[in-house]
Amino acid sequence: MLEYDSAKSPPPAIDEFVQLFRYRDLVFLMTGNILKNRYKRSMLGIFWMLLNPLLQTIVLTIAFGTMFKSSLSHYAVYLLSGLLVWNFITQTTQYAMGTMAYGGGLLKKIYIPRATYIVAAVGNGVINFLVSVVSLIVIIFFIDHPFSTAWFFIPVSILILAVFTFGLALLLSTASVFFTDTVDIYQVLIQALFFLTPIMYPPSILSPELSQFLAWNPFLILIEIFRTPVYANHLPDASLIVNAISLALITLLAGWIAFTNKADQLAYRL
Amino acid sequence: MDTTVIQLHNVTVRFRIPHEKIPTFQEYAIRWLKRRSVSYTDFNALNNVSFSIQQGETVGIIGANGAGKSTLLKVIARVIRPKQGRVFLKGRVAPLLELGAGFDYEMTGRENIFLNGAVLGFSRRDIANRLERIVEFAGIEEFMDAPIRTYSSGMVARLGFAIATDVQPDVLIIDEILSVGDTDFQKKSAARILHYHENGSTILVVSHNPDSIRNLCSRAMWLAQGSIKMAGPVDVIMDQYSSYSKS
Repeated sequence: MLEYDSAKSPPPAIDEFVQLFRYRDLVFLMTGNILKNRYKRSMLGIFWMLLNPLLQTIVLTIAFGTMFKSSLSHYAVYLLSGLLVWNFITQTTQYAMGTMAYGGGLLKKIYIPRATYIVAAVGNGVINFLVSVVSLIVIIFFIDHPFSTAWFFIPVSILILAVFTFGLALLLSTASVFFTDTVDIYQVLIQALFFLTPIMYPPSILSPELSQFLAWNPFLILIEIFRTPVYANHLPDASLIVNAISLALITLLAGWIAFTNKADQLAYRL
Repeated sequence: MDTTVIQLHNVTVRFRIPHEKIPTFQEYAIRWLKRRSVSYTDFNALNNVSFSIQQGETVGIIGANGAGKSTLLKVIARVIRPKQGRVFLKGRVAPLLELGAGFDYEMTGRENIFLNGAVLGFSRRDIANRLERIVEFAGIEEFMDAPIRTYSSGMVARLGFAIATDVQPDVLIIDEILSVGDTDFQKKSAARILHYHENGSTILVVSHNPDSIRNLCSRAMWLAQGSIKMAGPVDVIMDQYSSYSKS
């Protein structure tokens, strides 16, 4: 028989995990529903997901392609492979924060694992990411960029990215419940970071003073873990892989502990 | 054998009400620069509440608005975990606090049965097995595959009730929703609750209607300002409560 004792539950970091597993069907349903709701009402349906990165790439390639013609061949592939990672991380975290801060009313009404929304947001983000990889492949074929066996590394890259994004989403959602302007501050920060991260341009154009800071930009590590096998057609360096995995795991751990320990306060605060 | 199903021991739930605006980083920064601390009032929604309920009992909870009734139910429904005191529950709790919690109005009745079922903690397979029974009880057979934004509010409430009460729970929490749907459905839902009660479910009712408490409950608890003012046999408490309210 089920028992609940408010005073004697396991540590929140473990308890939340157990509960999420118990409510796994809810997590799957919510992930599916986000997708359904987003695309049901538009005629083009799933094609929007394909079209969006394609259009973005075309516009930016027209605008900046000639600028980097000598340093970056096949600019569209370079651009899109970086852009996809960037979009995945920022859109997923923003969506997760939004659902927690504004749509988390359900948590006040009934018990469900508090991380449900965030797992669903990341699940939805990963699916969108996979679909946009299809548009990346389309572009690669179109401009005749070489494919290599390094593509076998892509699933690992996506897993690392998903782990990092989940951790970051947990951290940001926790903050956004306590400080409502987290959403706005984050918005400004990522806008600045977008231009400070070599996504649209090669790292080589930065001045030596600026490029020494690049090693401290976690987003560059995450972009490179995906962009290297796609654009440069070789596996990322071992040191890069280690850095990316450590970054992802530390973020996940920090996010999970912060979120689960503050989760009980959500019902008071939302 | 110990038949205690619900036990609360010195439960205190404290809400912090800030005197000023919603907290933002900006506000904190400004305040920090001005060397002012943030001021709060602590408000005890529940104050040292202790009681226990045995299996099969029907207990009514009464009290004025803001007395802590909803908070008490939320503590029992696991929505709020008290920072002080202890809540102990045995068995599956079906909270009829929010019928159709998590309903998505763009989705069909069928999809929402699975969604709401999952919110209530049932597996997909479990719901699939009971789908027909739920639909039949709610009486929405023809509208199963229409988005529920096209439903009348009564239909939505009926569907919510049908999902939440499809399986007999060990504890049933009812918050003023005895009046779901039309007269026929009200009879049907009351009959179902009564049937569960006869089969051993423990029932907790919050209502402002003294008659429904008297009819349904054997025991009553009177909450005032977050504490139990009085508890005992339903007639005694209700007499006291009504003479108090009149004066």
